Amino acid sequence: MNTMQSLPLLQNALTVGAILFSLGLVGILTRRNLIVMFLAAEMMLQGISVSLVAWSRYHGDWGGHVLVIFVLTVAACEAAVALVFVLQAFSRTGRLDAAAWQSLREANVGRTIDHELPAIDTVPLRFPTLTPAGVLPPADENEPLQREHV
Amino acid sequence: MQEFSPSTLLVLVPLLPLVGAILTVLLGRTLGAKAHLPAMAGIAAAAVVAIALLVATARDVGPAHGAHAEAVRPVEMISTLWNWASFDAAYTPPAGSPATDARLTPRDLAAAEDVRSFSIPVALRLDPLTATMLTIITCVGLLVAIYSVGYMHNDPGYPRFFALVAMFVFSMSMLVAASNFLLVYVFWEAVGACSYLLIGFWFTKPEAARAAKKAFLVNRVGDFGLAIAVFLLWMTYGTLDFHDTISSNGVIMPGILGQTRLADAAGYAGGAVGTAICLLLLLAACGKSAQLPLHVWLPDAMEGPTPASALIHAATMVTAGIYLITRSAPLFAACPGALTMVSIVGATTALVAALIGTVQNDLKRVLAYSTISQLGYMFASLGTGTLLGFTAAIFHLLTHACFKALLFLGAGSVMHAMGGVIDMRRFGGLRRVMPITAATFFVGAAALAGVAPFAGFFSKDEILAALHSKGWPTAHGDHHAAAAADGPFQLIAFSPDAAHATVTAPAVGLDALDRPETWQILFWMSLVTAGLTAFYTFRAVFMTFTGPTRVPEGAHGHGGHGDHGDGGGHDSHGSHGGHESYESPPAMTWPLMILAIPSALVGWLLFSTNWLAHFLSATPSLTAPAVAATATPHVFHMNLAIQGTLAAAIGIVVAAIGHLGRRSDGPQLERFLGPLQTLFANKFYFDQIYSALIVKPLEGLALVAALFDRHVIDGTVDAIAGIPVALGSIVRRSQSGLLQRYALVGVMGVLAIVVLLTWQLRG
Repeated sequence: MNTMQSLPLLQNALTVGAILFSLGLVGILTRRNLIVMFLAAEMMLQGISVSLVAWSRYHGDWGGHVLVIFVLTVAACEAAVALVFVLQAFSRTGRLDAAAWQSLREANVGRTIDHELPAIDTVPLRFPTLTPAGVLPPADENEPLQREHV
Repeated sequence: MQEFSPSTLLVLVPLLPLVGAILTVLLGRTLGAKAHLPAMAGIAAAAVVAIALLVATARDVGPAHGAHAEAVRPVEMISTLWNWASFDAAYTPPAGSPATDARLTPRDLAAAEDVRSFSIPVALRLDPLTATMLTIITCVGLLVAIYSVGYMHNDPGYPRFFALVAMFVFSMSMLVAASNFLLVYVFWEAVGACSYLLIGFWFTKPEAARAAKKAFLVNRVGDFGLAIAVFLLWMTYGTLDFHDTISSNGVIMPGILGQTRLADAAGYAGGAVGTAICLLLLLAACGKSAQLPLHVWLPDAMEGPTPASALIHAATMVTAGIYLITRSAPLFAACPGALTMVSIVGATTALVAALIGTVQNDLKRVLAYSTISQLGYMFASLGTGTLLGFTAAIFHLLTHACFKALLFLGAGSVMHAMGGVIDMRRFGGLRRVMPITAATFFVGAAALAGVAPFAGFFSKDEILAALHSKGWPTAHGDHHAAAAADGPFQLIAFSPDAAHATVTAPAVGLDALDRPETWQILFWMSLVTAGLTAFYTFRAVFMTFTGPTRVPEGAHGHGGHGDHGDGGGHDSHGSHGGHESYESPPAMTWPLMILAIPSALVGWLLFSTNWLAHFLSATPSLTAPAVAATATPHVFHMNLAIQGTLAAAIGIVVAAIGHLGRRSDGPQLERFLGPLQTLFANKFYFDQIYSALIVKPLEGLALVAALFDRHVIDGTVDAIAGIPVALGSIVRRSQSGLLQRYALVGVMGVLAIVVLLTWQLRG
């Protein structure tokens, strides 16, 4: 039997994939940080990808490999889009906490509080310190260069 | 001159006003105060064409030969423009229905095809009746349009008014020129729509809006009758065309009023079906011509502009019923009972409307009731079913169109000068300040009252003669020579046919009404009506134009004659010096003077030459054997003339005693009527009875329906809509806004599916 199709290799690979998937699932269910949740979702995806590759290798069929390459491509795009969402969500609320968005709930459903959201650290407004060269560009008052919370 | 063939000219009569109406609509705002030009040009051109057609038709008919107009050749010309709709094998008449009756269906047709096709050709016809009606419609329409230039001056709806008038002239021309019952129905509705729009012309006035609605709804009742009559005609005769048509395989399809059927002695359905058709046509005519019991809309229709009242509600549209019955003369001739009903309805309406007219104080209402009454006269004349009766009705229609249009326009002139006041008690003695209006109004009143040389006298005399010939047939006929010496009616010559037609068949049902006694009663009713007509007409004349000169406050007088300058609003209290002129502008007085000429002369002209009767007798409908056989020699009925004149004289004298030279706001002669005056002033309580019997129950029913709709139907719909809302409110509680919970539910769902699949694949 070809080593490519050995059953232990498949079992090991599937175990790794299952562990990755479960870790991701637990992560997405327990963590509230949007970026961590996103990473956990990616981890679930990789778990599936690993099992796909394992099965593909076991059967000696390139279809699974091809599919995984596709998945990686799509995941890259998805990551770009998802990170934009996360960034926007953050700039709206100043938090990465998914619970900060629970105001999207149904109107007559009460707020769920396990513990209060921590207060936001207010960073004092500070201009970048650059070596003066030439003339300091005048600050445009209408353009908010700095956000209050960032 | 191929392009000026009669068929082209016939199309032009309705087409020109239609073009005028469309141009007025399109250019109305641009033209502003000149918005009357397109409409008036269209109507004027149509009037010229109509007169040309009248002359051409008269040339076809030929001159009258002596006193006996026997064997008149029917004259008609059909011009089929296009085929509106056509269905092959539209209808297979069930065996035994009247349509398959070999007696009613010409033989070749019954054998040739049992499956009938149905087509609606847009066909116009030209015959003496149509030519006469077209001339009346376009000429009166033209004069009214000229008058309206002065009357409607500065009205914000000026272009709209002229567009509607031109539209009406188009619809009415099509109505009398159409050669198909369905087309007649279409334009029957079209003139009704024009009437509705013109009554409600000042739609911001609540009374006008209400009157328009009332006219429309009451007319619906009659139109419903016409619709059912058209259905029945189709079922009975298998066609709706008036004229004969030749189908593609060369078979002649006899039209309802075509030569083939007219020549067939048994071509028309009698009995229950025939009577039903006739009574439904009568119902339609009653609606449009404001006869009992559907007359209630016409007095209210006076809320419209006076020129519209003159054109539509006096001279032309209300005569559509007369036209319809005259056109359907052979149908009616087969049903003596229905014919008698026509006369009974007509004479009763004439009497009732005249009685109501005696106590009205609104000048236009007096004229409105007079119109109803005179239309009743025409119906009474039509119902005799004799050639004399039909021609007399159209004769009276013609004279009535002249003098009633004149009277209405005169009343409008008074109203215009009095600043919108039309209550006769608020002005008086106007002959000094409105000489032209007064003189022309007097001519019209004399014509309406039947004073000897004026137009109404001759036509009314003809109608009385027609009724008399039915009431006393046995005194004449075969015994004509013997009766000549002793009876008071010695100068009257009657046809023997009319005498025998009523006695031969054993009469049943409605036909039993057709007895000389009935006609005698109808004759006396008409004679009494003649007296009442003279009374209320001259009562109005005396109240308006005699007595001390008084004008209401707010009337605009102006110093000199001539153009309609704004006099600056003289407030005139009480008696006046009599030198200030309130006369209307020339655009209004010229039509009055033009109309006064035919009102005075046309009766004598047409009667002495017998031209109209001879001309009309060439109408195909009136050449039906049942009608043509009743032709009588043209005689002047001296004794009837004396009776009619006597009745008119009594009426005028009583009116003079009560009102000549008195203040019109003083105590009136009519107070001696006592409770009857209350009855007349309340118009025999027709409106109240209809309100109690029809309007109130219908409103109750509408209320019940509204409650049912609001609570039962809407309640059911709301309950059904509540189900998803209730379900949603349960599921909605899980929408917590927490991402982790959503993800958890998703995971649980996947797990559930996995478990389910495992369970399924277990075995």
